Amino acid sequence: MKVIKKIIGSKLFITLVWIAVIIVIWEVLAFRVAEVKRTPENVLPHLTGIVDSLTSSKTINGAQTALEMVLENAGATLSRAALGYVIGIASGFVLALLMSLSGIIEKIAFPYLMLIQLIPILGMAPIINAITGDIAISRIVIAAILTFYPVAANTLAGFKAVRREAHELMYSYAAKKFQLYTKTMIPACIPYFFTGLKISAPMAITASILVDTLQGGIGLGCLLSQSLKGAMTRYVFWDIVFFSAVIGILSFYLMGVLEILLCPYKRLEKKGR
Amino acid sequence: MIGAKEKNNIEIMLDNVGMTYDAADGKKVQALTSVTMDIHKGEFISLLGPSGCGKTTLLRIIADLLQPTSGKVLIGGETPKEARLKRKYGMVFQSAVLYDWRTVIKNIELPLEIIHESKAERRERAVKMLDLVGLSEFADHYPRQLSGGMQQRVGIARALALQPEILLMDEPFSALDEFTREKLHIDLLKIWRKTNKTIIFVTHNISESVFLSDRVCVLSPHPGRLSAVIDIDLPRPRAMEIRDTPEFTALVSKVRNSFEGV
Amino acid sequence: MAVKSISKRRSSVQSVVLPLIFGAALITAWQTGLLHILLNTDEYVLPYPTRIITIISENTDKIMVNVWASVQVAVLGLLLGSLLGYLIAIFAATFPKFGSGGLTIVSAFNAIHWTKDVSSEAEVRSTFAKIIVVTVVSMASMSVNAYRGLTELPVFSDDLMKTYAAGRLTEFTKLRLPNSVPYIFTALRVSVPGSVISALVSEYFAEYVIGVGRQIRENILIAQYSTAWAYIVTACIVGIVMYAILMVIEALVMKKRK
Repeated sequence: MKVIKKIIGSKLFITLVWIAVIIVIWEVLAFRVAEVKRTPENVLPHLTGIVDSLTSSKTINGAQTALEMVLENAGATLSRAALGYVIGIASGFVLALLMSLSGIIEKIAFPYLMLIQLIPILGMAPIINAITGDIAISRIVIAAILTFYPVAANTLAGFKAVRREAHELMYSYAAKKFQLYTKTMIPACIPYFFTGLKISAPMAITASILVDTLQGGIGLGCLLSQSLKGAMTRYVFWDIVFFSAVIGILSFYLMGVLEILLCPYKRLEKKGR
Repeated sequence: MIGAKEKNNIEIMLDNVGMTYDAADGKKVQALTSVTMDIHKGEFISLLGPSGCGKTTLLRIIADLLQPTSGKVLIGGETPKEARLKRKYGMVFQSAVLYDWRTVIKNIELPLEIIHESKAERRERAVKMLDLVGLSEFADHYPRQLSGGMQQRVGIARALALQPEILLMDEPFSALDEFTREKLHIDLLKIWRKTNKTIIFVTHNISESVFLSDRVCVLSPHPGRLSAVIDIDLPRPRAMEIRDTPEFTALVSKVRNSFEGV
Repeated sequence: MAVKSISKRRSSVQSVVLPLIFGAALITAWQTGLLHILLNTDEYVLPYPTRIITIISENTDKIMVNVWASVQVAVLGLLLGSLLGYLIAIFAATFPKFGSGGLTIVSAFNAIHWTKDVSSEAEVRSTFAKIIVVTVVSMASMSVNAYRGLTELPVFSDDLMKTYAAGRLTEFTKLRLPNSVPYIFTALRVSVPGSVISALVSEYFAEYVIGVGRQIRENILIAQYSTAWAYIVTACIVGIVMYAILMVIEALVMKKRK
């Protein structure tokens, strides 16, 4: 009895129940759709159909199976997203560092940092594509810009959250500015920095896929558009939807894992409480 | 200690030290008016008073965290800034201010890293300090795993790691419960006896100041001023039980009665 | 000291003047063609600011039609999503065990950014589909934040309600609901810009060619870059104005609390 109660109360179990509920609702709707529509997979296919399409060895364009196709295109999209992500992280961190070091730079950059989040960057994707003239570079640029704001804002918040006493401690040691940053400020802002990374990882991926749809060629977004236009089976579309959803969630958790690897004290915190 | 009042034995000299703030409404607030006193080498001094009396302001002036608007401070004949650059004092704050991402021993090594001590020397001194505060077995723990009292002891060990002559303590035990605090009082006195530091201890707890100090400096608010300096001539070493003696009680009332305008 | 207050005043003047100088420098660089050299582009793809302003002023009527279409989608989706999100939060706060598990899922949804997926389904009634996209995006941030507002109460305040023998409903209306108000604004600060962005992006896929986002794309497809830029500037203004409105509402609501 006790064991059963423990299992039922566990977080994993509850999450699984929720997933089950969502699957049931999906399937009920899918049956309903199947009754009224001639091509149900265009609106809401059965989940089994989606799984089948991924595992089947039937080729789609005469050369590749659905899975191979998704994976190949995902490689193109994700590698660009990752590159843009890294560039965005680096520039976001450097800006936050400069803003923390210099009051003048902070005053100049702060209002613009706030403005960036209000500007629909994704809406500007087509024009960035036109300026760069290359879809691959556009992906990188957009992913970088979208990553930039959360990382810069959160890292800056991390620098600001360092307590006055910590500053005074370093002051009492007559520590140099460089030491203040390497010993206190930067280690202290790491959790905030990772908050930024967690927010922006799925964003970078989504942005890359979205930029794909603007133009033909290789990439998950291109594949998605083709599937929607009827150039290939609609199941490819659903495969991509699920694939990118999983990748998005995984990228979020990957950052969490990285954080714990980098900060062993974080692990204790969770256990200790 | 109290008998030896020769000139060359003076560690800290406060001469007419005053501090005036600009309040938000443009009025001037006198946080501290003309404090004059000498603190001797190896002395345990308490700065006691209610909030707003300027006791923390005075400590921060000595620590070179604030510049007085009048008067001057000399630490071993030098300005507070010179003393700070020579790392003549260690600071202990109200909370331990330990770094979450460093283990206990690495926290104590922090100031030694700042002055570029060698790795071996750092470790050796940190181990010694940890032993001094009785936390050797917790060297590889992280601060979050320690109780508040243990954290504060690590804070003291870290302050002592640079082997300063002076220890500045800003209400270090005020966040702890009574039982832990009494235990730390005994520990602090032991450490003080072993290391022979000059300690300036800010507190708002009358009994704490009487129990620990050689002299209690009573500060009163509005405006912040030094209203009395009371010698605590209780014998040393002091044990917990001394609090139950009539002499102790008498000194506590003496200190309490010396407050003005509270 | 007097010196101190002067330096404080100078500092706040600086924080207005310095960004303005920077902005002016940027626009000057743009107008004089320096920016084009830096970005390695020409005035055809990146027209001068004066040209963009001319286009906006000459096409105000048409632009306003598209703004109205986008704003409608953004606001309706925002309201619907926030309402749903708040209801989810109430549900989660009422049944904490299963509720918080559900919130994990909702926040995972948040990580997916459904925008493109749902909007791809937008062959169905255009405006409605676009609103659904915005709804889903706004829902996640509201549910997570409102849940915190409903459950992270001041220390002992729920015990206090119990000593009054207050029922669950009273506790909700007197304690939890007011406590969640600042959290609602936290959520909106995220979801207001989010709603504008998702409204614009959803237009890319929608059936009808209308809305600021769609106009950006359409004009680029026919190489009308100046017009596209006019819509980009418009989109930025829409985003900023909606955020400013939120700030005003927040200031008005929160002022009463202080």
